[in-house]
Amino acid sequence: MTLRSEPVFAFARPLGRVSIGVWLDRQSVFSWLMMAPPLLFLAALVGYPFCYGILLSLQDRPVAHPGTFVGLKNFATNFHDPIFWRVTLNTFVYTAVATLLKMIGGLALALAMNQQFPLKNLVRALMLLPFIVPTVLSTVAWMWILDPAFSVLNWLLVLLGVPKPGPSWLGNPVLAMASIIAINTWRGLPFYGITLLAGLQTVPPELYEAATIDGASGWQRFRYVTLPLLQPIILIVTLFSVIFTFADFQLVYVLTHGGPQNATQLFATYAFDIAMGAGQLGLGASVALTMLPALALLIVALTIYLRRG
Amino acid sequence: MHGISRRGFLELASIGAASAVLAPGPAPAAGKRLTVLHESSFIPPFDEYIKTTLAEAYEKETGVKIVYEVTAVGSLPTRISTITETGTGADITMNGLLQVIQFSEKYLDVTDLCKEIGDKNGGWYDAGREAVVVDGKWKAVPFCNIGQLMNWRTDWFAEVGVKTFPETWEELYEVGKKLKAKDHPFGFELGHGFGDNHGWLYPLLWSYGGAEVAPDGKTVVINSDETARAVDFARKFFRDTMFEDVLGWTDVSNNKAWMSEQISCTNNAESILWFAKKNFPEIANVTDQAQNPTGPKGRFHLMGAISHSIFSFSPVKEEATAFMRWLMDPKQLGGWYAVADSYYQPTLHAYDNAPMWQVEPRNIPYRDAMTTAHLPGWPAPASRQMAESVAKYVVVDMFAKACAGASTKDVIKNAEAQLKEIYRSA
Repeated sequence: MTLRSEPVFAFARPLGRVSIGVWLDRQSVFSWLMMAPPLLFLAALVGYPFCYGILLSLQDRPVAHPGTFVGLKNFATNFHDPIFWRVTLNTFVYTAVATLLKMIGGLALALAMNQQFPLKNLVRALMLLPFIVPTVLSTVAWMWILDPAFSVLNWLLVLLGVPKPGPSWLGNPVLAMASIIAINTWRGLPFYGITLLAGLQTVPPELYEAATIDGASGWQRFRYVTLPLLQPIILIVTLFSVIFTFADFQLVYVLTHGGPQNATQLFATYAFDIAMGAGQLGLGASVALTMLPALALLIVALTIYLRRG
Repeated sequence: MHGISRRGFLELASIGAASAVLAPGPAPAAGKRLTVLHESSFIPPFDEYIKTTLAEAYEKETGVKIVYEVTAVGSLPTRISTITETGTGADITMNGLLQVIQFSEKYLDVTDLCKEIGDKNGGWYDAGREAVVVDGKWKAVPFCNIGQLMNWRTDWFAEVGVKTFPETWEELYEVGKKLKAKDHPFGFELGHGFGDNHGWLYPLLWSYGGAEVAPDGKTVVINSDETARAVDFARKFFRDTMFEDVLGWTDVSNNKAWMSEQISCTNNAESILWFAKKNFPEIANVTDQAQNPTGPKGRFHLMGAISHSIFSFSPVKEEATAFMRWLMDPKQLGGWYAVADSYYQPTLHAYDNAPMWQVEPRNIPYRDAMTTAHLPGWPAPASRQMAESVAKYVVVDMFAKACAGASTKDVIKNAEAQLKEIYRSA
């Protein structure tokens, strides 16, 4: 066997190219390189508007006018605004009730969808419809459903003996809030349902078999096997759901525009009215930013809980 | 291969430069584009007419291309905000209710142009001027008023013996009571729409002598006996002539209720009759329109002002001014108004007896209402604070809360507190 040695220079590469290649191969460099596009994207489309929003909230900034720094004056103005407190209460009630309903309903939906039945895949696909249909479109459909003259609900209620024309879903402050909660729940259920279904499918069947052999009832299998294993997913879905629900805009804007008498006015719609309707960009930004501490606290609490888990 | 010689290049360059200087070029404006931003019209032929007929005629005449950009109803303030903040996007914009005062610093002063147009066309209505003059300068060219008046069912009113529309609010109330008993209630918006609520509630307040702010634009005067009387009237008017759902109505609701024959009287723009004539002729046959009723202090209407402004940062300001001058000439403007019947009521007296008013005599009250039409914060001049009060539905919700059961004293006190906070910066 003969060994052929090639001239060394034939393999030599320019020094610069070698060092760039090696540099790029470093995990610390490569990972940052991969992360750079999304980070830049986030900085441009989330970070910049967010910081600009904070800056606006500290200014008296009528639209089309230069702003003047006023410190926390806008927040103080909100503090003395009775509608602002109504909006705060509305937003918390709306988010809490809708999220709870979506959580319970979504779990029930996921458990049902996890069973074997004919046309299972078709039903699962149909289940996503409320989530897929653009909110504005589905809200217009709800507008008809909730109109006493055309409402299928009122038609049924009148058949059941409720005096004509039946409840005024959007004219009564309590019913109007209940209506927007119901629609938000209807729209958000598939998100909960499909995510929890994915979680359910990762539960090893052996655990259920072992529990059954130990004599666990259906409820006990759910309580001691399913629920603990689903808990991290429930928490993450809840986190997302709370953020989306808290900042909901389209549904209310199309259906009630915050009426009647601000009974359905939320942070997002009120901030929009002040910033765009009244042209007070600073004051509007301060209303929108009021959402931040509550959401931040929630996110931090849930993250800590998840890490401990 | 031979390249061009230095001498040859110099010769060619000289010939080129000389041709550029001496050759007769196109008119200065030729080849330019003007973008006109408009809110989508409830009368579709209106948008179509400027997009095709007027834009094409202007391009043929001057070489300037008109790009007519339509934005959805309700989204105009957002679009103007974006344009003024970024300094790009359009050269001319339509303005709604109080947008001139909000964006006036970014609008060109068109005082001379408006004077010229006014002088040629019999002068401007006061209401037209009220909506566009900021600190003595015309910041927009008034275009029209979209009046909010009374629409009533002649057949059902006749059933209770009423052949002409009631003259006063109290008389209308009496008729409404009878009609509700016959299952033909009234339907006036008390929710958070953008026009049909303010359209009757501010005039009601004024007709009882109330107002949200004094003529100085600073002193809040909502807490008065006159306001209390207007609120008391609204409460009984709602209770005895309407139904609960109107408290949650937005602007589409009364149109829907009208076309489905749910209500016998409402307050709306002319579009309600226009739409009925096109789609529900039987309903149109029994629809009539009238000015708002009078109260103890007179008869009033809301000025649904529409105007056009030129952005001061537009690179084609001169062309935009020339286009506005051309557009406001009766040869163009008359045709544009006419395609929408009289949905857009002219703010120039030259059109008081224009043929457009002969098309549909039931629309004539909209013309006559111009002399008693005002902006929401009247008798104060338009202001940013006024825009904030409208955006926060202060006056609308004052009435709506009373209708929903709150006491007159409480609703006025709440409205006063809100208005004082708003007008503190005036």
